[in-house]
Amino acid sequence: MTELWLPSADPTAEDEKPPLALWRRLGFGFWVSVGWVLLVIGLALLAPILPLEDPNATGVGGRLEGPRPGLWFGADSTGRDVFSLTIWGARISLVVGFIAIVVGLLVGGSIGILAGYFRGLFDGVASFAFATLLSFPALILAILITTLLGRTVFWISISLGILAIAPVGRLARAQTLVFAEKEFVMAARILGADDRRILIREILPNVVVPMSALALLGMSIAIVAEGTLAFLGISVADGLSWGKQIFEAGSRATDLQTGPHAALFPIGVVFLTVLSLNFAGDRLREVFDAKELSL
Amino acid sequence: MLLVVLAVTFLAFASMNFLGDPLVNILGPIADESSGPEFAEIRAEARAEYHLDDPFPVRYARWVGDLTQGDFGRSFKNQQNVRTVIADKLPVTILLMAYAQLLAIAVSIPWALWAASRAYRFVDKASTVVSFGMLGIPVFALVVLLFWLFALYWQIFPTRFDDSGLGPRLWSLTLPAISLAIPLIATYQRLLRTDLISTLQEDFIAVARAKGMSTRHILFRHALRPSMFSMLTVFGIQTGALIGGSLVVEQYFGIPGIGRAVIEAIIRDDFPIVLAVVVIMSVLFVLINFLVDIAYTWLDPRVALND
Repeated sequence: MTELWLPSADPTAEDEKPPLALWRRLGFGFWVSVGWVLLVIGLALLAPILPLEDPNATGVGGRLEGPRPGLWFGADSTGRDVFSLTIWGARISLVVGFIAIVVGLLVGGSIGILAGYFRGLFDGVASFAFATLLSFPALILAILITTLLGRTVFWISISLGILAIAPVGRLARAQTLVFAEKEFVMAARILGADDRRILIREILPNVVVPMSALALLGMSIAIVAEGTLAFLGISVADGLSWGKQIFEAGSRATDLQTGPHAALFPIGVVFLTVLSLNFAGDRLREVFDAKELSL
Repeated sequence: MLLVVLAVTFLAFASMNFLGDPLVNILGPIADESSGPEFAEIRAEARAEYHLDDPFPVRYARWVGDLTQGDFGRSFKNQQNVRTVIADKLPVTILLMAYAQLLAIAVSIPWALWAASRAYRFVDKASTVVSFGMLGIPVFALVVLLFWLFALYWQIFPTRFDDSGLGPRLWSLTLPAISLAIPLIATYQRLLRTDLISTLQEDFIAVARAKGMSTRHILFRHALRPSMFSMLTVFGIQTGALIGGSLVVEQYFGIPGIGRAVIEAIIRDDFPIVLAVVVIMSVLFVLINFLVDIAYTWLDPRVALND
C-alpha cells in the first residue's frame, strides 16, 4: 500500500460505452449462466426418458465406488448411481423453487401494487403484515408452515412462496409509489381512465419488468431454502432432492472419508446452479436497475 | 416495534392451535374420544392442565402474560419446563452466532479496505469474483464441504463438539462458525467495498491526502467510518439468515444448541418449545435491528439531528 489510487469512476461503467443491443449488454457470463440453468432444467425434465439408472436402485455400482465411464459421478454408500440421483433430485428442487417464486410474485406483487396505489387503510394493514412476516427469521417461519401444512411438494412450495410474499410485496409497493406520482399516470387519469385501467395499463408494465429480473434471484433463494429443509429432514417426505442427497452422503464421517465424491458432485451441481441464478439475476438487475431482493 | 413482536407471537400461537389439535400432540392416540372411556380421566386432566377448554383469546392472553414474566410453559412431551430447556441451550447458540459475526467482520473489513484501495484493478476484480462465488454456496453444502476438507482430509479441526472447557469449546466451534461466516464475509465485503469506493472520491479524502497522511491512516481513520452504513443495515438483516444457518450447522455438527432443540421439537410436535424459540428468535432479530438504528447515530451524528 504505497500510494492510494483514487478511483474516479468505474472505467467499465455502462454509460461510457456506446449503447449495445440488450443481449450484448447482458454479457457473456449471463448467457453461460442461463445455459447452465437451462441444461439442468432440460436434464431434469427429460429424466424419465434419458438412459439413466433408476435413482432408487441399489447396487448399481459398488459401495462408494468412484466415478468411471458409465457411472459418471460414482456410487453412494448403497451403490446407487450418484449422477442419476443428482438429475432426479433436480426435479423437486426446481419445481419447488419455481412454484414458490410464482406464488410470491403473484400474491406479493398484487398486494404490493394495490397497497402502493390505493394507499390508506389497506396500505397500512399490508405494510404491517409485511413487517411482521419479515421479522420472523425466514427459515424458522418456513419450518413452522411446512410442519403445520404437510410435507408434500405442493405445501413446501406454498410455504416457501409465502416467505417470498413480504419481500416481493415491499418492492412492488415501493415501485408503485414511485410510478403512481409520474406524469403519465396523471395524464391517463385526466383522459378519463379508471383505476383498473391505470393499474393494468400504466402501473403494471413498469413494475413487472424490474420484478421479473428478481424472479431469478428469488428462485435461487427458494432452491437453497428447499435444500436446507431437505437437509434438516423436514422437506418432501418421500422424494429425492439435492439437500437430502447431500445430507445422506455427507452425514456419516466414515462414508464421507472413503467416498467424498457422493457428496461433492451434488454439492458442485447445487453450487453452479445457485451461482448461475444469482449471476443471471444480478446482471438483469443491473441492466434494469432494480433494487435488492433478500429473504 | 412492540406491535410487530406482538403480531409475531399471535401468528405463531394461532397457527399452532388451529392447524393441529394440541390435545393429540400432548397425549398421542389416546386423545381421541373413541379410544375408550378408561382414558377420559387423563384427557380431562391434560385439558385442565394446559387450559385447553378456555376460548382461544383467553389462552393467548394467558400465554403472553406468562411470557412477559419469563414463563414459557411446559413441554408437551416430557413435561420439562421450557425455560430450563431454553436456558440450557441458548448460550451455545449465541456463542456460535457471535463467533461467526466476529469472524465475518474481522475478515471482511480488511478485505474490503484492501480491495477498495485497488478498485477496478485486476486483483480487485479477482477478489470480487471470489466473494460472489462465496455467496453461491448454500450453508448445507458448505458444512459438508468444510467438514470433509478440514476435519477429515486435513484433520485440522475436531470432528465432534467438545464441551470440556472454554478452550476446546471455542476450538470445536471454529469450523461451524467459519461455515456460518463465509456467506456473511462475502455480503459485507461487497457492500463495504462499494461504499468505500464512493467515499474515497469525496473532497475530505483529497484534503487528507494533500496533508500528506499515509494511505493506511486515510483508509482506517477517514474513509472507513462514513462507509459503514449499508454494512450495518445488512448486519441486522443477516442475523435472520444466521439464525436459519445455525439450525443447519448445529444439526450437522451435533452442537447441542437451540437450533437442534427446535428441529427435534418440530419433529415431535412439541409446540411450547417451538413457540418459545420462534418468539425468542424474533425478539432477538427485532432487537438487533433496533440496536442497528441506534448505531447509525454513532457512525454519523447528523442522523440524530435530522430526527
